[in-house]
Amino acid sequence: MNKSFVLRWQSQVKKGTLTFIVLNILDKKGELYGYELIENVKDKTSIIIAEGTLYPLMNRLKKEKLVTSKWVEQESGIPRKYYSLTATGQNTLLEMKDFWKMLEKSINTISK
Amino acid sequence: MKEITFKNKSSTLIYRDYLNRLKKNLKHSSAKDRKNILMEFNSHIFEGIQRYENIEVNETENLMEVLNKLGDPQDVLKPMIAEKKLEEATRTFNPIHVFKALVLNITNGVKYIFFAFLYLVLIGFLFVIGAKISNPKEVGLYFKDGGFYLLGKMKPQLMESINAKEVLGNWFIPFFLLLTILLYIIVTFLMRITARRK
Repeated sequence: MNKSFVLRWQSQVKKGTLTFIVLNILDKKGELYGYELIENVKDKTSIIIAEGTLYPLMNRLKKEKLVTSKWVEQESGIPRKYYSLTATGQNTLLEMKDFWKMLEKSINTISK
Repeated sequence: MKEITFKNKSSTLIYRDYLNRLKKNLKHSSAKDRKNILMEFNSHIFEGIQRYENIEVNETENLMEVLNKLGDPQDVLKPMIAEKKLEEATRTFNPIHVFKALVLNITNGVKYIFFAFLYLVLIGFLFVIGAKISNPKEVGLYFKDGGFYLLGKMKPQLMESINAKEVLGNWFIPFFLLLTILLYIIVTFLMRITARRK
C-alpha cells in the first residue's frame, strides 16, 4: 500500500467535503458561533484543519448567500458571531444531499 | 474591538503579536472586512482560552495551544485575500489591482503564472514605447528578408549593412499602444472568466 498517497487522498476528500459538513451541522443545530462550529466539525468527523481556515470558508458561504451571520454581545464584552443557514442555504443543501446519495450509490456499486 | 486581558505579561505579548500579524495580512482589505475578521479571530481566541482554562493551569500555554490550532495568519487568510483582490481587479480594470491580484494568486496555480507572463509582455510593450520616445532614431521593429528580425535598438549603419528595414516608422508608438491596450483587455477578461468558473 502507498500510505502517503492514501493520506493525501484523504486530505483532499476531507477538504472537498468540508463545506458539505459545515452546512449539514448548521442545518441540524440551527445557530452556532465560529468556535462551536469548529468543535462540532472536529467531534463528528475527526477532520483536523487549521481552525482559522473555517473563517474564510464562512466568509465565502456568506457571500454566496448560503449562510447569514450576526454579532451577539456577551457579558465578557467579547461578542460572538452566530451563523445560520438561509433559505437558499437549506435548498442548496438539499441539492447537495441528493448528489451525495447518488454518489454514494454509484461508489457502492462499483467498489463492491 | 475589546482586547482580551491576560494576567501574564508574556501571554499579552504573544496575543498582541498574533493580532498584529493578522492586521498585517489584512492591510489590503476594506476597513469593514478588517474589523470583522479581527473581531471573529479575537472571539475565537477568547472562547478557546475559556475551554482550556479548566484543564491546564498555565495561561500562556493555553494561549499558545489555541493560536497554534488556529494557524498562521498568513496561511489562513491568504486564500480569502487573494480571492478578494482578484474580484476587485476584474471589476475595476485598475492596473494596480490587477497587479496585486496576480502577485497574490501566483502561488495558487499555474493559470496565474500564465497571466503573469502575459502581463510581463504587456509591460515589455510599454517599455519599448518609452524607449522609442527617448531614442526615436534607433529603436524600432526591424524586418529582414520579409520576416521579423528584431524589436529593439539598432544603429542605422548596422541596419544598412545587414539589409534590415524598420517597418513601423511613425506608427511605432500608436501600434504598440494599441497592442498594449488590447492585451490588457484580453488578460483582464480571461482572468474574469476563469475566476467566475471557479
